[in-house]
Amino acid sequence: MDRRSFIKLTAITGTSATLASCGNPEHQFIRFLPEDEMVPGVAVWKPSVCPACGAGCGVLARVMDADADVIRKGQAGVIRMGVVKKLEGNPDHPVSLGGLCSRGQAAIQITYHPDRLRHPLKRSGARGSGQFQEVTWDAAIAELVSHLDALEGAGNQKALAYLTRRRTGQRAALVGQFLAKFGAPAPITYELFGDDVLRRANGLSFGREQLPTFDLARARHVLSFGADFLGTWNSPVAQAAAYGTMRQGRPGIRGSFVQVESRMTQTGANADEWVPATPGTEGALALGLAHVILNEKLRPADAGRAGSLILGWSEGLPDFAPDRVEKITGVSARRIERLARDFAARRPAVAIVAGPPLAHTNGLFTAVAVNALNALVGSIGAEGGLLFTPQRSAGGGLAAPSPQRFASGAEGRTIAQELAARIPRSLESMAADLASASMPPLQVLLLDGANPVFTAPRAWKVREALDKVSFIASFGSFLDDSTILSDLILPDHSFLESWVDATPESGPLVAVASVAAPAMKPLHETRSTPDVLLEVGRRLRKPLGLTAQTYDETIKASFASLPAGEGGADAWTIAQKQGGWWGELPRGAAAPPDDRKPARSFTFVDPQFDGDANQYPYHFLPYPSTQFLDGSLAHLPWLQEQPDPLTSAMWSSWVEINPTTAEKLGIAAGDVVEVASTHGSVKAGAVLSPGLAPDIVAMPVGQGHGSFTRFASGRGDNPVSILAPMAEPESGTLAWAATRVKITRAGGPDGKLILFAGSLREEGDLGR
Amino acid sequence: MCAAGLATCVLSTLVATGCSSFRETAADSPRPSADVFTPAHETFGQSVNEFLWVKSTPHQPIEFPHKTHVAQGVKCTEYCHEAVTKGPRAGLPSLSTCMACHTQFATDRPLIKQITAIADKGEDLQWQRVYGYSPQSHVRFNHAPHIRANVECSTCHGDVAGETVATRNVDLNMGFCVSCHRQKNAPNECITCHF
Repeated sequence: MDRRSFIKLTAITGTSATLASCGNPEHQFIRFLPEDEMVPGVAVWKPSVCPACGAGCGVLARVMDADADVIRKGQAGVIRMGVVKKLEGNPDHPVSLGGLCSRGQAAIQITYHPDRLRHPLKRSGARGSGQFQEVTWDAAIAELVSHLDALEGAGNQKALAYLTRRRTGQRAALVGQFLAKFGAPAPITYELFGDDVLRRANGLSFGREQLPTFDLARARHVLSFGADFLGTWNSPVAQAAAYGTMRQGRPGIRGSFVQVESRMTQTGANADEWVPATPGTEGALALGLAHVILNEKLRPADAGRAGSLILGWSEGLPDFAPDRVEKITGVSARRIERLARDFAARRPAVAIVAGPPLAHTNGLFTAVAVNALNALVGSIGAEGGLLFTPQRSAGGGLAAPSPQRFASGAEGRTIAQELAARIPRSLESMAADLASASMPPLQVLLLDGANPVFTAPRAWKVREALDKVSFIASFGSFLDDSTILSDLILPDHSFLESWVDATPESGPLVAVASVAAPAMKPLHETRSTPDVLLEVGRRLRKPLGLTAQTYDETIKASFASLPAGEGGADAWTIAQKQGGWWGELPRGAAAPPDDRKPARSFTFVDPQFDGDANQYPYHFLPYPSTQFLDGSLAHLPWLQEQPDPLTSAMWSSWVEINPTTAEKLGIAAGDVVEVASTHGSVKAGAVLSPGLAPDIVAMPVGQGHGSFTRFASGRGDNPVSILAPMAEPESGTLAWAATRVKITRAGGPDGKLILFAGSLREEGDLGR
Repeated sequence: MCAAGLATCVLSTLVATGCSSFRETAADSPRPSADVFTPAHETFGQSVNEFLWVKSTPHQPIEFPHKTHVAQGVKCTEYCHEAVTKGPRAGLPSLSTCMACHTQFATDRPLIKQITAIADKGEDLQWQRVYGYSPQSHVRFNHAPHIRANVECSTCHGDVAGETVATRNVDLNMGFCVSCHRQKNAPNECITCHF
């Protein structure tokens, strides 16, 4: 460097330093007087309930003083207030036991998300354009009320629908009450990875339409059919804690664990033995094991009601001899015999079924078959076996809706059937619909936490159906794929800013009712949705006469019948202090099982797949991603940057292909591949994974949002969109593993697939 | 030859620091400009200043007379910086703390009238911190144990009781902390302050 350029350089640096250090942005903000007294620098831990999935883990929120960007009386400014800075598991809570998964840790970003909706919004552009204008709460509620009044005036209350994700506790009860009093049908619940098939099967086998709880901590042997119980399924934190105890928490005893699945999950990667089976034949494998146990008289043959549902059980399942099951499942007869002997010999043993095996057209059979296998080894209701978390009965002053009523759409229909039944598909069919249908066409739709445009297959035409609804209001906190279609948005508080409650359906062995007061004051001009519903109920021309004035009154009332604790403190006081009530339910408060024995019998039928096997040679397996589950958490940047535990991929979509298949098709790691079904195609980078059968192509669900904040919009592709509208016939739930696809190489790496580690193996030779 | 360059550099830096509306580098600067945490300084100017140990001059919203209050018998740590005995931060009082007394006392003074008007609007004073560390320095200071060890406020903050608006009288660099810790046999491991 010569002298001249050195002087130039220093001059430039100096000038830029001068410019950069000028300006005093904090003076542009209004600073509001604090609303509460905080001791600076001292943290307080307040209980709350994690909203990331249905497990309902209890969390503790670390509240400290900070300067927060807020909106007060329509004015943006800065205020010193107590804000939540960190979430941890609540050590006293029976679901989380002090643990919290990465999704729960990231849930704090919901509150501080830069793209959170801060005011009520009214659509100003064309529907779906994303153009909204700010309105006041008074105007927003008045608008919703006027639409509901119009329905009521026309005697057309049934034209109101409430579409929600599955919720438990008093929030669900309040929504149900609101709709019932208005005269509208019960809420339509839709979840892509909902467990309605398993609930239905448990209702048939055990009289409880509820997800099971596994006493893994005391089990000696676990056989799981496709359940990713350590990663994404059901209550992963509770299950992982119990699993840890099973494997390492008992001196001298290490429980054994076998996983049956066609794509290796995070859970499968932990197993002692990994058994790949042909997709959709897991139920036959379960009966193959039962056949061996019955035939070799390893256990008494009686499996009670669960066994009697299986055709040929009393004759020892003659159709499921190991050599025949080998032909169906692809698992060798010798292996079946060994697995069966292990399952019978190691006591207590328990079998788990969930995930892809139940997402076939024969899913209900598979679940019932595994239930019978569990009953055969005596694990139902036994220590180290399968139990049901006690649920409070609907009576006794607790107005929580029973799981049956809330399990799926009204009358057990899926959202697709529901919307199809109630929305005129075309002008031609409208007349016919009006003449024949028992339901009038849908006019007002309320969206609460469900994003059907993203989580339903495109073949269901949900988007088109929503376009025909004359008024859509959403309670969403973000402009997701469905909320962007709404005419009015009434943004909810974040879970940290509002009263929250949950009644976990599964996970703990004791009854739990979680509840928590707001951990912090609201940042923006949002309102708690239950409180908005209560206000709407009061402001209607014919008020609904809902008993409570505020949501917390509703929750409080539901605690009245619970027993007092030690020292005479009532259940409500205890619950507020520790984040919930848990313990033994008083006699009569627990819901009894349904003792009516169903007159049904099940046997294995081949699973049906969409797509011709010659033209579409691969099974397509979309699976809940570790980070985003069904995609509802894709807006949280911490989760976007969290590498997938098996592939290390982040910030992107990918397609998992077996290396042998990839070689055959000339696909190298990172190449862009196109996955096409009869209903469309998606593209993503290829990840070659040996933990996948050669005839399977897997893709994580979660990316590919059209609109879902700056972090998720337009990132990756959505595998759900190409699913065929196959359903498990009895429950009507989407059979999301029943689509066949073809794959082709669409080009070289496009740079969108980001892997944290270079490849799955250090030598990086899998592509060869 | 290099002297000219060096001179330019120093000169530029002086201009930079002289810039009157300089951004405060205190640990809790009111508003992070980036959405994502990064150990890098927000601006090039800040990193230059940090490197040269140049601190900004805080500009307080009003000329708060410490001297007057202390003379009237208001105790520093009892009324205004009361969190000092409880936790890491001494705390800067919000306007509601001022108004606890000043709805009664000295209500006719012009400054009091001024703050009463602000309080009536529901707004607060934007105090700026006089001392503090930049987040990039990874120093975590906790007041409470120092108060328990009977360290006088003036040891680190100078004679604030004799001042109007507080100024940075003491240069709180690492040498200052370490030498005092040595004298008093207080822990001197890195992790004591940097964690």
